[in-house]
Amino acid sequence: MREAGRTKLAIAGLRSGYGATDVIAGISLEIPAGEICALMGKNGMGKTTLLKSVMGLLPLREGRVGLDGEDITGWTPARLLARGLGYAPQELPLFQDLTILDNLRLALRDDRALAPALERVFGYFPFLAERLNQKAGTLSGGEQKMLILSRSLMLQPDLLLVDEISEGVQPSVVQRIARALLGECERRGMTVLLVEQNLGFALSVAHRWAVLKLGHIQESGENDAAAHARIMEHLKI
Amino acid sequence: MSDRMTQSRGLLLALLLLAAVLVLAGPLFLDRFTMNVLTRSMIYAILALTVDLLWGFTGILTFGQSAFFGAGAYATAMVLTHLGGAPEHFVLAFVLAIAIPTLLAALVGWLSFHQGATPLYATVISLVVPIVMTQLIFAGGQSTGSSSGLVGYPTLALGAANHFRLAGVVLIGFGCLAWVFVRSDAGRMLVAIRDNEMRAAYLGLRVQLVRILLMTVLGGVAGFAGFLLANAARMVAPEIAGFVFGTQLVIWTALGGRGTLLGPVAGTLGIDWLGAKLSGELPFLWQLLIGAIFVVMILFLPRGLAGLVPRRRHQGTPPELVAIPTRRRADAVGPVLSVRGLGKSYGSLHVLESIDLEVHRGELVSLVGPNGAGKTTMMRCLSDGTEPISGSITVLGRDIGGLPPERIVRLGVGRKFQLASVFESLSVADCLRLARMSLDRPSLLRRSRRIGLPAPAIDILRLTGLDGMLNQRAGLLSHGQKQALELAMVVALEPELILLDEPTAGLTKAERAMIGGVLQRLSGELGHAVILIEHDLDFVRIVSQRIVVLHQGRMVMDGTVGEVVDSDLVRAIYSGAANA
Amino acid sequence: MVLVLDSLTTAAVLFIVSSGLFMIFGVLQIINFAHGAWLGLGAYATVVTTALGVSPWLALPLAFVVGGVLGGLTERLVVRPLYARPLDAILATWGLGIVIGQLITLAFGRDVQMIPVLMTGTVDVLGTAYSAYRLTAIAIALAIGLGFVLALERTRLGLTARAVIMNEALARALGINTARVRLATFMLGSAVAACAGVLLTPLTSVDPNMGVIWLIGCFMLVMVSGSSVRALALACIVFGTAQVAVGTYVSPILGGMTVAVLCALMLRLRPKGFAGV
Repeated sequence: MREAGRTKLAIAGLRSGYGATDVIAGISLEIPAGEICALMGKNGMGKTTLLKSVMGLLPLREGRVGLDGEDITGWTPARLLARGLGYAPQELPLFQDLTILDNLRLALRDDRALAPALERVFGYFPFLAERLNQKAGTLSGGEQKMLILSRSLMLQPDLLLVDEISEGVQPSVVQRIARALLGECERRGMTVLLVEQNLGFALSVAHRWAVLKLGHIQESGENDAAAHARIMEHLKI
Repeated sequence: MSDRMTQSRGLLLALLLLAAVLVLAGPLFLDRFTMNVLTRSMIYAILALTVDLLWGFTGILTFGQSAFFGAGAYATAMVLTHLGGAPEHFVLAFVLAIAIPTLLAALVGWLSFHQGATPLYATVISLVVPIVMTQLIFAGGQSTGSSSGLVGYPTLALGAANHFRLAGVVLIGFGCLAWVFVRSDAGRMLVAIRDNEMRAAYLGLRVQLVRILLMTVLGGVAGFAGFLLANAARMVAPEIAGFVFGTQLVIWTALGGRGTLLGPVAGTLGIDWLGAKLSGELPFLWQLLIGAIFVVMILFLPRGLAGLVPRRRHQGTPPELVAIPTRRRADAVGPVLSVRGLGKSYGSLHVLESIDLEVHRGELVSLVGPNGAGKTTMMRCLSDGTEPISGSITVLGRDIGGLPPERIVRLGVGRKFQLASVFESLSVADCLRLARMSLDRPSLLRRSRRIGLPAPAIDILRLTGLDGMLNQRAGLLSHGQKQALELAMVVALEPELILLDEPTAGLTKAERAMIGGVLQRLSGELGHAVILIEHDLDFVRIVSQRIVVLHQGRMVMDGTVGEVVDSDLVRAIYSGAANA
Repeated sequence: MVLVLDSLTTAAVLFIVSSGLFMIFGVLQIINFAHGAWLGLGAYATVVTTALGVSPWLALPLAFVVGGVLGGLTERLVVRPLYARPLDAILATWGLGIVIGQLITLAFGRDVQMIPVLMTGTVDVLGTAYSAYRLTAIAIALAIGLGFVLALERTRLGLTARAVIMNEALARALGINTARVRLATFMLGSAVAACAGVLLTPLTSVDPNMGVIWLIGCFMLVMVSGSSVRALALACIVFGTAQVAVGTYVSPILGGMTVAVLCALMLRLRPKGFAGV
């Protein structure tokens, strides 16, 4: 077993939802620093809601969120970003009518640190450098996903929340995305909460996993030999 | 009838009586100035009521009632000025004062309300109409008196006292009619449209037609009020047709309390009368005060002064649910639904591609697939023929291309939305009444004491305990109860084909099991065809006979539960390995 | 020739007067019915500079500051609680317009004000003597239009504003303080509207309710333009020309309603108006 490290993200008893409904009802989850945790689960089980709640985009109804032991419950997205959180959303994730460059610029508050940040993400996805003035909406599905991930890496976050980054993406691109995530983890010790439905991709990068069902964590564990079979048990019909 | 109900009836009757006495006896003790002002105020109050019916009840913010009022007043004044004051001219003036605004309002309604028009658009049009009207008056030269208006024409020789009485009687009469109408079954439609236009359309109600009719009738009423004013005031000026007066009507309505009937009347009488009294001494301060109060009210008390009065709860004995015999299904041969080569794209993005599907009576087909597979888009295409698609969709042999949702509902398609969609400010009973309105013609005058529903709809209500909450406001129901209510409303339409988008989302285990049982009965015993979108595959496995798998806009499988559940392809899709 | 110049200058005036309302609607999707009051305020800034005996041009910075400050207060106190109730926002801002109109009346009286014009004289354009000020209006409109385009497309603030227009949820997720963008936009829009009021003074009589006459025309032009500057410019040119044509050949009174009627018809036939042209 891996030695338990310092806890990066601690979610305790989180309850959140829309309108009259609780989509997530009491989730607790801890991720050690420097690890990638894959959060699996079928559609509509609350994975995106969890990420939005942590990111300050949905008001929490109950529970606390801690980052490096500091209570960050109820912080605004701006404050969380400044504190080292990053977010790669799934729903309406890009400004379709803005160029690649403008989409990336919007991750930063001013243009001073733009050049080095661009250099870093171009290292993972060189095609971006050649097409800076192309509108994001004209990119293919896989290219858009790479742009979303790049933007979330512009500020070099300590903790990255990633929502279904491999959805509808061809295997070769999934591999490049995996390389970028692992690269940042190894280089800077970034921690990742990876919401996924692609089991193969998730297990190829994650250190640990958890399965979400009907707003609760159903089961969780290390990424060991039995992981695939245990997760499949929850995902199959 | 319960005591409280009788009591409130009694109170109302007493109020009515008091109003009638005041109106008839008023001239005996009012000074002439007050009487003249109040005559005008009461005519304006009629207009405020029309604004309230449109805006407060139906949700159409309109600044245009002044235009219809002005049209009526000018028609009267112009006939009497240019033709003279013989009795037949008064008849002509009266007829024109109502007919012209009615026609005009019908035209404006047709312009304002059409498939896909936003609520803002009607407001935009309502701003333009009074402007056009005033400009026409200005451009009219001799015939309209241009900017100075018309004055000194023969008027109904009633005397000031009787003009006061006439205006009062008309106000009371119209107020009573409005009261009866908004409480009738048909009147509930107005609030339903305000609350949730989409649900109303998907219950087969002709939302746009109702709005046009309402606007037409109220245009006529405004014209009638114009006739009264032209006679009582013995002059007409362009301002009464203008946009500023239109906004004033809205302000009075808002301050008194939109969505109530007494509020706007009280607001108009109070403010117009006070204004006339005070504006002599503090002309600008008075306007300033009204403006400031108005802003504060909109911000903090959107329901107006009426918001200070505690809202009465739906009371009295709840209506009775009666099972009606299920309509005999036409034993037509062929599928209920037949989809051929359906494709749908947004720009270069193909959401659905070459889908072929047939659904027969008594079948429960589940539509599954990961997020973004196109399931909800497909439901939308099946229930709204105005969606641009390629391929064809036929329901009971009829091509639905180009048909708006309410027409398709009338063909026999009921749709339940993903998020529970009911009429939040209406009672459970009213929601159910509305569901039957496209089938049983509603009364304009009465509220029915019994609600006839098909047996399975009553079953749903019984199983969820909603049958005991008929007087409860739908907005106060729990999420699960709303889902069940909406399902009961859809079933009450007795559709041949029922489309359900995640009917169990957010429900407890027990509620899911209950809904599952109802769905099986609807398809198995009662022969409805059902298409179900569901993420909970355990639920799908239990209730369906057939499963269709969508993946990235294409139909990748269509088979029995056993075939689909055990297939490697579905397993691959759900573990993310089957990406293109 | 006069007709062409009239059309162009009318379009320019419409553009100047609409631009403040346009900014606010484009970013906030809120229809600011106090727009007429901002125009009035600006015009009365000229009354103040006249009373002080300084150049009427100084009214521009004065109007800009007053409009900006009042706009900021309005956004914070009146508009912010109503973003979820856009129809009520129309009403509340209309009410505010009444309040401002009456305050102006209390301070300056309800009479038409006599103020020195910003610029006199005529210029010879291809043999036609034409009002120098109306020609200047074209230049001002072009400057405002170019300013818009440059500010939106070249500056960081413009990029942020565009991001908020396109996808506010995402902008917030990226840490953009959308509340501050809204406030800044409302202030700027109000300030620009007040300046437009100053620029209107040579063309129209100045009285407390002068803005109301312009409000509906501006509102309709903004409705057909969505959030595109180019669409607004096009709408002003097309409908301004139509207004001049109707005013000249049919009746000057009917000319006044041309813009509103044509815009309404256009929205019926093509709900997106000029946006996307």
